[in-house]
Amino acid sequence: MNARAFRHGALAAALLAPLAGNAAQGDAQRLASAAVAAGDNKSGQFAVVDKQLARVFVFKADGALLASSPVLLGLAHGDHSVPGIGERKMSEIKPEERTTPAGRFASEPGRNLSGEDIVWVDYDAAVSMHRVRPTVKAERRLERLATATAADNRITFGCINVPTSFYDAYVKPALGDRQGVVYVLPETAAAGKTLFSFLSP
Amino acid sequence: MNKTSTLIAALTLAASGAAFAQGTPPTTAPANPATAAGTQNPVGGPMGTTGTTPQSNSGMSGAAPAPSSSGSMSSGTATDTTAMASPRPMRPARADRN
Repeated sequence: MNARAFRHGALAAALLAPLAGNAAQGDAQRLASAAVAAGDNKSGQFAVVDKQLARVFVFKADGALLASSPVLLGLAHGDHSVPGIGERKMSEIKPEERTTPAGRFASEPGRNLSGEDIVWVDYDAAVSMHRVRPTVKAERRLERLATATAADNRITFGCINVPTSFYDAYVKPALGDRQGVVYVLPETAAAGKTLFSFLSP
Repeated sequence: MNKTSTLIAALTLAASGAAFAQGTPPTTAPANPATAAGTQNPVGGPMGTTGTTPQSNSGMSGAAPAPSSSGSMSSGTATDTTAMASPRPMRPARADRN
């Protein structure tokens, strides 16, 4: 393991350690607090996805952290969806287009074509938060979720994959039967300034 | 019974029938115009200005069914302006990006 990998691994391990009490990490908690202060969450529970940590944080309506979990995200780094990607077949999506978009999304419960209940994050771009589906063994999705590092959590076509137990325990009760808000933190500096209007400069 | 009695009985029956018919005027606002017109198109197509059941709200007035308080026959079109307080109908299922 080289120095960079070690540093990245150690940092990721620290960030992914079980969260104690009501303290979410850095950016997610700050965003949550600002959203609640501005009333942006419409007095409802909400989720914040930190792409750099590959982690989702579910918050109560008052901004207190409810729980968090590692997630799988789009393979490609980037904060925008390619126009029209929601209408394309998976086989037509290039690797570099497999991004999880960042921003504030009005989430809504829904179903995919398999009839599975999911939470739409961006319906038009076909981005949802759903239980991880380990259907393609070569992708090792469950193993990626289980590792301590966030570096290997980029595998999806853009959706946010959540461990089944976490989805059923926290995501579904918070967002699975009502409209809500999902905030996805950007991973590129260029996108960070304008995505959340309630954040003061 | 003589002929006179029979005649009186027949007249009485005829008069009562006429009176019943006069007491049941034709309706001008039938609940189902197709039924009221006495004919229905089995495939639901147009049959002129009468005798058709409204197929849509466009261009139709009157005889509309009372709105339901729960749910609707709408498929959740983009023009549905449901108030924020009530949940928006679930959008059609579609493939996600897994």
